[in-house]
Amino acid sequence: MTERRIFEHPIIDFDRGEEFYFDFEGRKVKAYEGETIASALYADGLTKFTESKKLERPRGFFCAIGKCSSCNMSVNGRPHVRTCVTQVEEGMKVKRHGAKPDFPEKDIGRGKDRTEKDVEFAIIGGGPAGLMAAITAAELGGDVHLFDEGADLGGQLVKQTHQFFGSHEEDAGVRGIKIGDDLVEEAKKRGVNIHPETKVIGYYEDRKIAVERNGRFEVYQTEGIVYAGGAIENYLAFENNDLPGVYGAGGVQTLMNEEGVVPGEKVLMVGSGNVGLIVSYQLLQAGVEVVEVIEALPEIGGYQVHASKIRRAGVPINTSHTIVKALGDEKVEGAVVHEVDEQWNKIEGTEREIDCDIICLAVGLRPDTGFLRQAGCEMEYIPELGGQVPLRTEEMRTTERSIYVAGDSAGIEEATVAALEGKLAGVAAYEEITGKENEKTESLKKEAKDGIEKMRKGPYGQVPRQGVKTCTVDEEVCG
Amino acid sequence: MIDYEKTGVVKKGDIDVPDDERLEKGPVVVIECVENIPCDPCVAVCNFGAIDMDEITDVPDIDFEECTGCALCVTECPGLAIFVVDCSYSEEKCKVTMPYEYLPVPEEGDEVTALNRKGEEVQKAKVTNVRQSGKTYALTLEIDKENVWDVRGVEVKR
Amino acid sequence: MTTMVCRCEDLTEDDIVEAIEDGYDEMEKLKRHLRLGMGPCQGKSCTLLAERILCRETGKDIQEVAEPTARPPSQPVPFSLLASPKRGEQDE
Ligand code: SF4
Ligand code: SF4
Ligand code: FES
Ligand code: FES
Repeated sequence: MTERRIFEHPIIDFDRGEEFYFDFEGRKVKAYEGETIASALYADGLTKFTESKKLERPRGFFCAIGKCSSCNMSVNGRPHVRTCVTQVEEGMKVKRHGAKPDFPEKDIGRGKDRTEKDVEFAIIGGGPAGLMAAITAAELGGDVHLFDEGADLGGQLVKQTHQFFGSHEEDAGVRGIKIGDDLVEEAKKRGVNIHPETKVIGYYEDRKIAVERNGRFEVYQTEGIVYAGGAIENYLAFENNDLPGVYGAGGVQTLMNEEGVVPGEKVLMVGSGNVGLIVSYQLLQAGVEVVEVIEALPEIGGYQVHASKIRRAGVPINTSHTIVKALGDEKVEGAVVHEVDEQWNKIEGTEREIDCDIICLAVGLRPDTGFLRQAGCEMEYIPELGGQVPLRTEEMRTTERSIYVAGDSAGIEEATVAALEGKLAGVAAYEEITGKENEKTESLKKEAKDGIEKMRKGPYGQVPRQGVKTCTVDEEVCG
Repeated sequence: MIDYEKTGVVKKGDIDVPDDERLEKGPVVVIECVENIPCDPCVAVCNFGAIDMDEITDVPDIDFEECTGCALCVTECPGLAIFVVDCSYSEEKCKVTMPYEYLPVPEEGDEVTALNRKGEEVQKAKVTNVRQSGKTYALTLEIDKENVWDVRGVEVKR
Repeated sequence: MTTMVCRCEDLTEDDIVEAIEDGYDEMEKLKRHLRLGMGPCQGKSCTLLAERILCRETGKDIQEVAEPTARPPSQPVPFSLLASPKRGEQDE
């Protein structure tokens, strides 16, 4: 086994915390303070994280951001812990589930010490949208509580090691990692109450939210909510698509850029949108070979400048290609791809095998809207925005009173737009709940709206522009 | 469909390039950013006003006469799409400055492999300058004059 | 041949197609019949793939096959978290 931890990187300095050991199925495994359980295990060489419940197939992690449950294990006797978002601790006892999860070894819920609290604003999700909403509402004087499942905030910004596009006024040319850190600092400075490692598990009538923290059940009665839960990586259907080694591109990015662990040695990237192209470049920077990028459409999906960057490094990009099979029994040992015509039909005689140990899926993102559907927000399927999104006003209010949405949950767009939407939602929520509308709120709203409009210009902005038009409704409709 | 939409590789004909007279005068910028993307740090960084845009989604409009070839923009462009070429360097040789974000970082005087836009080897080249800005480096390579429109990448061996 | 659709509940493309042929031709019906989308991820990974298969098999438009109802808890939590050992004890 070669070392999977990255020690030298052109962009990122990984300052690992103290070294210690934890117990994995009776074996001592090394970890560094600050690592997640999943990344420590992966760095140690583990690829099979679970066994599937009926077919008993080996499974690896997939999303690495707490969305897919592929990494669930039993931790200190508690089953179904998402190991990719749970930090490892010295002496922890970690165990894979069998085909069926274990019965909890001890009473881990503390239903009887549930607490109930009144707060003014609850912001759900600590990515760029949530952070900006929190900062803005707090800056205006609101009592703001921000909830995020992870230990570190910043959402998916934290793994963006590339410099940002966009206008220099909106942080273009600055690396995502840095923007994330700055936003968290700013939020603290503005007095936002940050609740990390806190899962929002449900919405209940009249803007009550239920959260779980450390085995404890807490209920928050809120006056206004901004939901910024982000996105989910799309999955793709092909034979053996559940083998360990088939990972989401975002998952690979998290593992590599946040956790400092490389996924493997030879990567086949499926999808040539900006995510596929950027993650390919980041793999190369981490010293991993990208054998090929394939794309089902006849043309590359992402920006030419990103494509050119990886082409210069010798990575081929093959358009009109699709994957039909992952090879291997216990983990990926190769892939089979073939060419397709404009109608997506297979072109006979083009089938070939690719030698790789990782298949990285960069086939798009979809808004994570489960919470909003629980809250009764009206939804509509908008292909331009990546799937079902809530109907909302120009100022990001959903069809439910005092519930706002921002960022990828409102439709898949760039991080800069997410941040600006967060800002807009933060002000609008503040205005609605406090009834205070003034010059300051007006000017903040204008800044955000102008910024968003600017980002949606040009041919790449046409798709989200069209999508947003369809799901934006009048104030009256929202009641 | 334009070729680069399928291949990711631009050709000289796709980009705006300085004329021969300007090339002979000294170092000058070559920008290989051809799509209307929402991005503009190159405009802000140039101290000589050589890059302009009306809308953030315009492609950079370059005034080659104003450009001094200072190469500040090379490390500033998030698309790593900006290069500086210097054809006034000598009879046979010219220089190309390009962004670099890999390891290992070469030193001045090292021999490296100069690559084309597809990552294929064009020639061996000497590194004549290494400048660092944040985590991005600008490497200047000395190459044969005939390769000035080919060399856009570099491979540095450990 | 194993093309997985729902990783949590181990449902393959063939399982879904078969169920649709048996008349479970809506997301809500597939959910009830197969437990599609009812695993620990609560449908985050499989919904889109299942919707696409449903559209392909029935000729329906993706607009019509909306995502099934969402209910709390949206994340795996132990039952004892929600339940109190004794009725009314949390009020003490
Ligand atoms: S090389 Fe210097 S002068 Fe020329 S465009 Fe770039 S920053 Fe401006
Ligand atoms: S900074 Fe680079 S990618 Fe952005 S517009 Fe300028 S040349 Fe293009
Ligand atoms: S939830 Fe951990 S890998 Fe997806
Ligand atoms: S993949 Fe279907 S419920 Fe998780």
